[in-house]
Amino acid sequence: MSNVIKFSFKHIIPLSRCSYVRTKSTCLLNIKGYSSKAATTDSDVFDNFTDWETLSKTKKISKAMRAYLERAKEHDEFMKKQQFEFSIGKRHLANMMGEDPETFTQKDVDRAIEYLFPSGIYDPAARPLMKPPEEVFPARKAAEFDEAGRPHHFLFYTGKPNFFKLLYDAAENIQFLYKFEDKVIRKKETPYPNQNLDLSNTVWFTKDQLEQHLVEKLTDLEYENFKLVMERLISLPYSYQFKDFIEKFRKTLTSQKFALEIPKPNFDEDGRAYVTTYECLRKKARGDVTIRSPGTGKIIINGKDITYFEDTQSREQVIFPLIFTGMQNKVDVECNIEGGGPSGQSGAIRWGIAWGLRSFVDKNMLEAMQVAGLLTRDHRRRERKKPGQPGARKKPTWKRR
Amino acid sequence: MFTRNFRNICRRYSQSVTFRTTETSPVQQNDNQVGLFYTIEKDVCKKLFGHGGLPKSYMKQTKTFTETTLMIRQPALDVIDCIKASDLNKPAIRYVLYGETGTGKSLTLAHLIHYAHDAGFLIVHVPWVSEWLRRVPRHKEMSNSQTREGFVDLPLDAAAWLLHFKTQNQTLLKCGDLKISKDYVWSKREQTSAGAPLAELVEQGISRVKYACDVIDALVYEIKLLSNNKQCKTFVAVDGYNCFFYPMTRLNTPTKKKVKPEEVTLTTTFMELTKNDWTNGVIVLSVDQIAVPEDHQESYLPKYLLYKKGFEHLDPFVPVEVGRYSEKEFLSCASYYRDRLWLRGPEDLETELKLASACNPYKFMELCAPL
Repeated sequence: MSNVIKFSFKHIIPLSRCSYVRTKSTCLLNIKGYSSKAATTDSDVFDNFTDWETLSKTKKISKAMRAYLERAKEHDEFMKKQQFEFSIGKRHLANMMGEDPETFTQKDVDRAIEYLFPSGIYDPAARPLMKPPEEVFPARKAAEFDEAGRPHHFLFYTGKPNFFKLLYDAAENIQFLYKFEDKVIRKKETPYPNQNLDLSNTVWFTKDQLEQHLVEKLTDLEYENFKLVMERLISLPYSYQFKDFIEKFRKTLTSQKFALEIPKPNFDEDGRAYVTTYECLRKKARGDVTIRSPGTGKIIINGKDITYFEDTQSREQVIFPLIFTGMQNKVDVECNIEGGGPSGQSGAIRWGIAWGLRSFVDKNMLEAMQVAGLLTRDHRRRERKKPGQPGARKKPTWKRR
Repeated sequence: MFTRNFRNICRRYSQSVTFRTTETSPVQQNDNQVGLFYTIEKDVCKKLFGHGGLPKSYMKQTKTFTETTLMIRQPALDVIDCIKASDLNKPAIRYVLYGETGTGKSLTLAHLIHYAHDAGFLIVHVPWVSEWLRRVPRHKEMSNSQTREGFVDLPLDAAAWLLHFKTQNQTLLKCGDLKISKDYVWSKREQTSAGAPLAELVEQGISRVKYACDVIDALVYEIKLLSNNKQCKTFVAVDGYNCFFYPMTRLNTPTKKKVKPEEVTLTTTFMELTKNDWTNGVIVLSVDQIAVPEDHQESYLPKYLLYKKGFEHLDPFVPVEVGRYSEKEFLSCASYYRDRLWLRGPEDLETELKLASACNPYKFMELCAPL
């Protein structure tokens, strides 16, 4: 409903702009003609007989409608200008990059921006970007009432019509399913066992996502209620009937990548399986780790044994993945590491060993390793010192004067 | 209360077979007891190591465990076998213990000293050479030597060492068989005449601190003479021997002049003792990385630590490496710690400790301390 309205008004504006100057009434007629459902009166009906009541009502356009129209017009003009600027900018960019402006896609734009404005800012959202204006400026809600100020939506006065409509629909579906279940029991039919709702690889929208979907701000309590109702719905035995409805509010999980690309071990001349992990990074340390499978728990780091690290913490870091998987007597480890200090080096080795051990452990252990955080890279780097203070975060001692 | 005591006794008794040996005399120990612990009796321990000789961290542990136990390890047994097998009439053989830091060189030396004590040797033991040359407490007594030009005396250290010597050899000194060969004149009124017992010479040094260094000089001369005459057999043990050869000491003369180790009278005395120009003696030395400053700790091998000078001074010698724990020794040590309630927790703790300590005894002890 609201979509329709929005669409119609978008087209009104250019028409109304030319006619608005002449008479107020023509403008109103135009609006009437384009607004689809809410305005029931046709122009010929209006011509044929004089319905004074309607006339007086329609002549008095509501304040809310007028304000909305002004706002919509302003927004539309703004968007149009943005759109124009964007297309010009895109052409300039294509010329700058020496490519054909006609076939210059958004992907090319992103690449060009990254090339022209290289940025090391940590948060990707803060980096320079050039996107179509529809993506940059948030969508606005279309008018929810007709020109007489009468709301279209039956839940308009709740303040959050879309959200409560969702709850309403869900509750209605639940009631339907209850009745359906009763019917099945009464008829003594057996339900199809294979028609089940598979929701294992999807999750409910987060609060932000739901807000975006409904174009309405929600409170935490409302979001909880949403989840409660939807959980109730999917817990019912015949919930597959509303699969479409349910899946509208669920997001698919990205599949876990590590499970797919575990390398197969190579074999050296002694017939021992080995896996080499390159690019083990942590802080400033870089290195590679080789794991050989039938082994005795020998650890060689840059040609020395574990005494390469003098402090206990670093040693614990190195042996932790081996002890966690119980492979301390089954594999040999060989590392070459350089750069950084002991904690960076030992962290890099820890990750390298864990990453290499994936090829030698079973699936359950792999999951346990994932949960234990062994397979997660640590991307933290040293934070720079700030001018005017003695460290990265440390402030000078506070002194009254 | 009773049940707990009973349980403790049961536990001690049931485990006592696996990691302890009742053979308390190192003379009787053999290869079957490698990796087992034996207890040194309290009075013997006090006599031998009452004035130093055991590392400080180990002393702390013995206090906690209320007993002094040493592990019987292969290097010590090897040296003991060598001593037993060698002919004492030949020039003294020099054994040099070496190994990484914390592998137990000093404790092996302590084990050997216990052996020497049981075998009836006259023990000449220097607990830690760096104590003399590198440690500078606030009131370090120093004076220029009266008898030798350009040399420096450390009278207090020398007197303390004489006391140590006296306590270690109290039984041998008491029986009075050891007589000195010539007159020593200390001053106009003080002298020690020929034929007096050795104990008198030592007493002289302790009571007249001023002459302690000269007394040690004389003592070493007499000991060599006595050994040559087969009146006693001598066991020389020096811990941290390589400290004598590091080019500089941390000592300063009153005129702020840096002192080289060869300018200290004690150095020359013990250099004299570690030559192999005398018989009826055994010399066990240990070279240690931590006896010298950090700029010379890259390797633990004797040739590096002793410099060319020391290596040539000692050559020929028998190098004995003291290594890390073997599998068996490690498990025995872990069960000993468990027995002492020093180590608690699940059984698989040992594997982690073994990997983390890399079987280094000192590191293992350190890691167990907070567990």
